[in-house]
Amino acid sequence: MLQIQDVIRAYLPAIVFVVLGIGLGAVFASLNSVLGPKPKHARRATAEPYESGLPSEVKKTMRFGISFYLVAMLFILFDIETIFLFPVAMQLKAFGTFALIEISVFIVLLFVAFIYVWRRGALEWK
Amino acid sequence: MTGLLAQATTKGPPINWEALSPFIALVAGGCIVLLVGLARSAFIRRQVVPVLTLLTLGATAGLGVWQWDINEGIVANAMVVDNLTLALTMIFVAGGIAAVFLSWRSIASAEAGEGEYYALMLMSILGMLVLVAANDLVVLFIGFELLSIPLYVLCATHMRREQSLESGLKYLIIGSVGSATLLYGLAMLYGAAGGTNYGDIAAVAAEMADDTLFMVGIGLVLAGLAFKASVAPFHQWTPDVYEGAPTPVTGFMAVATKAAAFGVIIRLFVGPLIDATTTWAPAFATLAVITIIVGNVGALGQSSLKRMLAYSSVAQAGYMIAGVVVTTQLGIAATVFYLAIYVVMNLAAFAVITARERETGLGDDISSLYGLGRDRPFLAWPMTIAMLALAGFPVTAGFFGKIYLINAAVNNGYGWLGVVIVVGSAISLAYYLRVVAAVWMREAPAASTSLSAVPIMAGGSPEGDEAAYAAGREPGADVGRVVSEDFGEPSIITSGPRISQPEVIFVAVFCALVTIAFGVYPEPLMDVARDAGEALQSLR
Amino acid sequence: MTIHLSILVFFPALMGLVSAFSPRSLAPKILLVGTLIPLAYTIYMITDFDAGAGLQYVTDDAWITELGIRYKLGIDGLNLWLIALTCVVAFASAVWLSVRTPERAGLFCFHFALGQTAVLGAFVAQDLALFVLFFDLMLVPFYFIVGQWGSGDRAAAALKMVIYTLVGSLLMLAAAVATAVLSNPGGELSFVLTDLQANLLSESQQKWLFVAFALAFLIKMPAFPFQGWMPDAYRSMPLPALAFFSGVVSKVAAYGFLKLVLPLFPAATNDWNVILLILAVISILYGSIQAFTQTNARLILGYSSIAQLGFITLGIFAIDASGQGAQGALLQSINHGLVVAPLFFVVALLAERAEGSEDIRDYGGIAFRAPVLAALFLIVALATLAMPGSANFAGEFLILLGAFSSVQALAFLASIGVILASVYALRMYIRSMHNRVGPKVTSFEMTLRDGLVLVPLVLAIIAFALYPQLALDAGEATVRSTVEAVLR
Repeated sequence: MLQIQDVIRAYLPAIVFVVLGIGLGAVFASLNSVLGPKPKHARRATAEPYESGLPSEVKKTMRFGISFYLVAMLFILFDIETIFLFPVAMQLKAFGTFALIEISVFIVLLFVAFIYVWRRGALEWK
Repeated sequence: MTGLLAQATTKGPPINWEALSPFIALVAGGCIVLLVGLARSAFIRRQVVPVLTLLTLGATAGLGVWQWDINEGIVANAMVVDNLTLALTMIFVAGGIAAVFLSWRSIASAEAGEGEYYALMLMSILGMLVLVAANDLVVLFIGFELLSIPLYVLCATHMRREQSLESGLKYLIIGSVGSATLLYGLAMLYGAAGGTNYGDIAAVAAEMADDTLFMVGIGLVLAGLAFKASVAPFHQWTPDVYEGAPTPVTGFMAVATKAAAFGVIIRLFVGPLIDATTTWAPAFATLAVITIIVGNVGALGQSSLKRMLAYSSVAQAGYMIAGVVVTTQLGIAATVFYLAIYVVMNLAAFAVITARERETGLGDDISSLYGLGRDRPFLAWPMTIAMLALAGFPVTAGFFGKIYLINAAVNNGYGWLGVVIVVGSAISLAYYLRVVAAVWMREAPAASTSLSAVPIMAGGSPEGDEAAYAAGREPGADVGRVVSEDFGEPSIITSGPRISQPEVIFVAVFCALVTIAFGVYPEPLMDVARDAGEALQSLR
Repeated sequence: MTIHLSILVFFPALMGLVSAFSPRSLAPKILLVGTLIPLAYTIYMITDFDAGAGLQYVTDDAWITELGIRYKLGIDGLNLWLIALTCVVAFASAVWLSVRTPERAGLFCFHFALGQTAVLGAFVAQDLALFVLFFDLMLVPFYFIVGQWGSGDRAAAALKMVIYTLVGSLLMLAAAVATAVLSNPGGELSFVLTDLQANLLSESQQKWLFVAFALAFLIKMPAFPFQGWMPDAYRSMPLPALAFFSGVVSKVAAYGFLKLVLPLFPAATNDWNVILLILAVISILYGSIQAFTQTNARLILGYSSIAQLGFITLGIFAIDASGQGAQGALLQSINHGLVVAPLFFVVALLAERAEGSEDIRDYGGIAFRAPVLAALFLIVALATLAMPGSANFAGEFLILLGAFSSVQALAFLASIGVILASVYALRMYIRSMHNRVGPKVTSFEMTLRDGLVLVPLVLAIIAFALYPQLALDAGEATVRSTVEAVLR
């Protein structure tokens, strides 16, 4: 039977990590506004991110083309494929044929998805 | 590091490829269907893709039959393929095959793209399979999501119809809440048991039965699965989603999803959690009572057939919980038997609704059935038989289904649940017989609601779309364009125009015949159900 | 010749199925064949039956082993004559249907034949689940007949009838399962009646199961206070079906008491029988009073049926030492079926002579131009009021005899019903046949073809009046042993 203290002890590193993460993020965010130079006459353009001194052409609420998201998502999907491929490729001898078959199935499935995406025209920029 | 990897080489997870074959068939079939669906030829998309889907489902069923009586854990004991899994597989496949037939000419599959539509259906069935075969909490959740996500999309496939999109979105949101609840519960079970395999949970279930963490975990898992099985009070999404989704998808969801949800409830609760029965059985029994009452009372005032069947499916879920609560092999057998006949009864009804939806332009309103008995025996009788069977009349499978469930309930001291089932059935007569009365005792509506009139009046109303598409026109072709030629058509109609849709009528008639056949001689199906029940060897 | 009861039971349904696919003119003829063969079969059985041999012509096959349900049929003294009644009345209805063929006759004949099969099945079933199956099935065809061919607000009448009766039937279904499970805990499940009788339940278990069964049967009869569905259904149902429904279907309930309730729940019968007797007496008085105040001819007959079934219930639950009450009840079941069926046909003939009106205030003076019809009607009416010499007299006499020897006060009240019966039977006869010619009446003699329906039934009444002993002898042994089991 797990005691509550044991649970806390087991999760202690995670708790410390979370607390530190939140704390550091908050500190940096607030320090920036406290320590950073402030223009005497605050203007809208200077308050914007990536301030270059020029008023930006687009509004913050501008909508990106849906194609951007589509391509970005597809990129991430196929990008992650590489992450899986890499360790298997490095240690193929150790894992043996089982891993080879497994990773081939994985590639085939992704390939099916790729053909589908391609033929459906998701890769064309509209 | 290298030493560890070397160890992995020698240990390689044991995989029983033969037992895994139904799963592989579905994955491969799904991929092929998806790719073939990309073809430019309309013939390939509209005819070959459904045929390939049917072949895949046939192969899955065949492989399942081949593996009957195998009863072993596969893939490092993360999944179990036994007679319960395989019996439920047959139910999923049956639901899938019927859904393919009903979708053949449907507008939804054309709008969404046939390849995607059928591939999603196959993936959903794969998810169901994984779900009921799961012997590990992680696999359970993967199956759960694999089952759900394609269904969210399928519900919204009738894209031009607002209700369909609403249905998909609603299902997505509520389904996600269900998934989250389930996941949270699974995490707690893992936390309490210290392992995700069912074996690990079973090992501690007896001593942890009163542990708060464990109990909360069970409660959350129960709630999550109750969402999927549409058990009251987690059923609120059911009528809306059933009503909005394209009818073939509704039919598929109603039968296959329900079977999957009950499969996993049996697998998890009557499996590893059996020693904690005292924790969950009272909750389940209470849910059964609430579900039976809520479902039956809710169905009373519905005029939409799909909403009515949604509430009826809630009520029927209540009956089936009774079979689970008693935690005997007999109870499981009764539940599996009831699930199987529930599939055929409902599919017959959904087939008729699909057919009338295309023919009348009245959608799934009960008035679409008026006057059917006079000149459409092949639609009228299946609907009648389906309704009588759902109500539990004799010489239909529903009669023995109820006897079996009541028998199981009384056998283990849950006689009062048997009484609740009976009371629920008595209430249910009012709405099932209303449908029968609509078929036989009402006159067909006047010609004003004929097929051609509706799209003009409503400017391309969804139901008219469905009707027009099935009649051979492109969906939406008459939207935004004055359909002058339709004015010329004489529209003196008795019970609506006839559209050639032999596959839908086939499903209706076949399911009705099966319902009657099992109502006269249920023995073969009971044998299968008993085998499925005996798969859970921890029970008596 | 070996008797196969399956043929007897399923032949009508088979012919009904054939007639469903036949043209309108042919369908009733096929139904006629479907009812004639079982009738001939039954007559042969009656001549062949051995009153001392217990259950005969047994068919006993495994059906659903998983649930312990066997396909067991058999004939004993209780059901033999009830089966004969079923076949006679069904045949008369079939003749009527051939003479006056309804719309969509094929479907009508199918439903009617299915109804006959269900009733026969319920009578011959020797397995509790099989009985329940047929008992529930009985309802379905009549639901469709009322709903499709009925008059007035037929869909509502049909729904009301089904919901009332099926609520009872469903409770009985649960009770039947419970009976089987509890009577043999842990062992092989069996629904066969003899097995259930061998392992009787404890009194506390019997008590509740008895209620469920009794409720189902009392609703089906109908008996007071469960008669709510009766007026609408009787007003709406087409007459050939109603003749069968009122004459035969209600008897299944009476038979159910004798065949199932008394033998399976003897202890509970002793506990509850006073309540049932009181209900029976209320039914007699209430039914009789309603019958002579109503003006609709169908309802007069409907309420008189309630009164008559009250007598039958009274006889069954009199539980007197010699079993005379129960014997009278069995006899009276057959008698009542034989008289009420022709009465409904007579009502149909009367309505034809009064512009379709079924209100007896519109009738009058019909006898003048239709003496044969009047004569036949008179015979049936006299039998209904249990004229000495009729079989009904023998039946009611036995019932009252049984009741007087066990519950005198109630028997005294019940005997008022005998007097009331003569009031309503004669009132109906006089109002329609004699008096001044009614406003709508154009009287004419019945045709030969109508005679084909009525004359055989009247002959059966007369024959039965002469030899009531036939039915009594066949049932005596079984009834006696049933009652003795309760008394023990």
